[in-house]
Amino acid sequence: MIINTIEQIKDLTRGAVFLGTGGGGDPYVGQLLLQQEIRKGKYVKVIKAKDLADDAQVVSIAGIGAPSVLVEHLQSKDTCRQLLTKMEKQLGRKVNAIIPAEIGGLNSIIPMAVAAQVGLPVVDADGMGRAFPHLEMVTFSVYGSTAAPVCIANELGDSVIIEKTTSNRKVEDLARGICANLGAMVYSALYPMLGAEVKVKAVHDTLSYCLEIGRGIRLAREQLSNPIDGIMNILEQPKLDRHARILFEGKVVDINRETRDGWHWASVLMIPLNGKDDRFELEIQNEYLKAKLNGKTTCLVPDLITTLDLDTCEPLTAEALKYGQRLRIIGTAATPIMRRPECLAVFGPIGFGMSEEFIPLEDL
Amino acid sequence: MRIGIDVGGTNTDAALLQDFRVLAGAKVQTTEDVSSGVISVIQRVLQTSGNSENDISAVMVGTTHFVNAFVQRKSLLNVACVRVGLPMGSGIPPLVDWPDELRQQIGEHIYMIGGGSYFDGTDYAPLDEQALEQTALDIKAKGIVSVAISAVFSPVRTDIELRAAEILARHLDNVNITLSHQVGGIGLVERENAAIINASLQALSHKVIPTLQQAISELGIAAPLYLSHNDGTLMSAEYAMQYPVMTCNASVTNSIRGAAFLSGLSDAIIVDIGGTTTDIGCLSKGFARETSNASEIGDVRTNFSMPDVLSIALGGGTCIREKNNQIILGPDSVGFKLTQKALVFGGDTLTTSDIAIACGQMKFGNESKLSHLSKGLIDKVHKAMKARLESAIDQLKLSAEPVPVILVGGGAHLIAGDLKGTSEVIHPINSDVANAIGAAIAQVGGRVKRLFDYKLEGGREKALEKAKKEAIDNAVKAGAKPGTVEIIELEEYPMTHVQSNTVDVKVRAVGQLENF
Repeated sequence: MIINTIEQIKDLTRGAVFLGTGGGGDPYVGQLLLQQEIRKGKYVKVIKAKDLADDAQVVSIAGIGAPSVLVEHLQSKDTCRQLLTKMEKQLGRKVNAIIPAEIGGLNSIIPMAVAAQVGLPVVDADGMGRAFPHLEMVTFSVYGSTAAPVCIANELGDSVIIEKTTSNRKVEDLARGICANLGAMVYSALYPMLGAEVKVKAVHDTLSYCLEIGRGIRLAREQLSNPIDGIMNILEQPKLDRHARILFEGKVVDINRETRDGWHWASVLMIPLNGKDDRFELEIQNEYLKAKLNGKTTCLVPDLITTLDLDTCEPLTAEALKYGQRLRIIGTAATPIMRRPECLAVFGPIGFGMSEEFIPLEDL
Repeated sequence: MRIGIDVGGTNTDAALLQDFRVLAGAKVQTTEDVSSGVISVIQRVLQTSGNSENDISAVMVGTTHFVNAFVQRKSLLNVACVRVGLPMGSGIPPLVDWPDELRQQIGEHIYMIGGGSYFDGTDYAPLDEQALEQTALDIKAKGIVSVAISAVFSPVRTDIELRAAEILARHLDNVNITLSHQVGGIGLVERENAAIINASLQALSHKVIPTLQQAISELGIAAPLYLSHNDGTLMSAEYAMQYPVMTCNASVTNSIRGAAFLSGLSDAIIVDIGGTTTDIGCLSKGFARETSNASEIGDVRTNFSMPDVLSIALGGGTCIREKNNQIILGPDSVGFKLTQKALVFGGDTLTTSDIAIACGQMKFGNESKLSHLSKGLIDKVHKAMKARLESAIDQLKLSAEPVPVILVGGGAHLIAGDLKGTSEVIHPINSDVANAIGAAIAQVGGRVKRLFDYKLEGGREKALEKAKKEAIDNAVKAGAKPGTVEIIELEEYPMTHVQSNTVDVKVRAVGQLENF
């Protein structure tokens, strides 16, 4: 698959907000960066994980930092290209393909912009099929890949290499500290893996899924009188292990936000439009983690919770939610690999300090 | 006594107020040059009330003229887009996301210069003054007369843009410079876009506003001219000439504020029925509720605070058809051709106005032309119109509780009787010039939107005190009477994904105009 039109980029961005499940950072800046590359005649070549050579060298590229800084610093055209060169020096070999670490939010688009710049292919896969706040919350890590060596740099060229750590969680902690000291927005090259590893450790086909969702929302809006039907048709395909359902429709009546340890925590209360007595709640730690209807859990991390504008079906980030907004909340099942016990231990409810056991969306 | 004027795409409305009492209202057609329409509406309103030009102490004008010009790509200047930021942002130059035709129309004169600040206000690179000197020479050689300057984190460090402007101005005579920190908050792309839009409107604003000032003074009115700001406050004519983009949403906000004034309510749903569309907005604590969604002006993304308004295709000129015993409302409208096309004027199109006249809710045209309309049809259409409106009102309501609804605008009398989901339906007197009244009663505002380091400021309380004081000072600087200024909005957005004490603080203050 080739990505070379502005329309595809906008579809991808829309899909990335959907799969960002409220967080992941607004992909708009990434969209602009990629748009500028396409405008110059560059393009992104997307390849399937199964088509990678077993000994192909694959790495992830991801931004780390504060969304409010990103929207000012934007991105230089050199930072990520130089990161790749640094990583190649660390590995002692050329990189053959780039894989997004997360397909939700900003970090889905950044790898594509870099790939367009340097002419490398992007793998149609990622490490979670959504967005998570920590860099150890990826299937790559669950199945034994180390994030290190990690190359980190800011836009000015200040750069750091994390050569080795005893856990990927330590990379996360180090990277946050480095980020805070390098202007609060940095980029990283991390999780160097071989093609054979990617085939078994990654969540497959998520980039094309992201594009399909973004395009589906656009087309449904253009062609259908009831666009949500078109979107649900894409999300709900039991034969493909895809399950989804509308969790709630209503308006926001209360948002309680706070920042703890530098993270965005919030709870959102909604009521139905039809005057019924229901109460719907969303719990947010950067991403939507839990949905509850009248006190009963209806969707739980790592299954995906997404907020759509009720009229336009445009997906919205948690930071854009506000009092009075009319929303439709969708629950989408995570892919089977994400629901394995070893994965749930890292980014299931327990990974976010919740005592609840994970129950799949289709059983709730 | 003050005159409020709203210059819309079709009509120019005026209202004369004394001590918060409406003395008279008037309506004329909008003219291409703006000012002749304004003059004739002023003359008409003074004639109606029997007052003289000498009685007027202030003229307030809300207009969609500048935003319409931008949307229609009319009278736009070539703009030099100067961004101070390198090495940051080189991958996303100015204008990346602008429509191609528009980018070509304002020219692709892009200059990226070294310099800029971190979020905490420290420099990451020195301002490249030499590059700016070169830029000035290039702008001069190209004969460009309008410049937009943006800089990374300029809402935190306004001095960087000011210094860049000073250097450019040294080499350039008769050039207008727009600084991005004057037109937007955090978010470089959106703020820069707003600055470029503003710069492209300089020729128009420098033509229209002085012409307006001159025409008003030739009429014998010695009072100052103010223009309505997006947020429902006022700005001086001189400021508006520099920052025409700040007028872009004023009309909608004015109509909501005018409705609040006429009804005496501070919380309600406002329904403004025009000729083609109905705008439904929400009055919250006396002000228009704003939307937090990214707003686009003429397909360019900005971060202006826009009133949260739902527009539906229902107005006085909406065409009515019957199909399989079902009433179909619009969505097309005869618009300003109402006086030719509507049945009541001898035309061939059944419109919502015809129905309202047949019901006796409005009176104009030749009623006898409607005698053939059956009562059944009239009832059915009226019911369909109400249902359309009721569902739109329900979408804007914050809870299922019934709320008061205020009907304003030229088509306010299309709707009679109760509406579902509302506690009362109010038809205030003078509702047809609510937007002009909103302009007349506007207050003077001051805003702050930037990052504060709570630790450096000595704690949250002290930081917020400082932010509030800055907003109040800004309001007084803009002409508010000290002592009348109050804080109407305060929001905090802590920085996430990084350990820091930095919070994006947004404060709005408003006060009474000094000479009212």
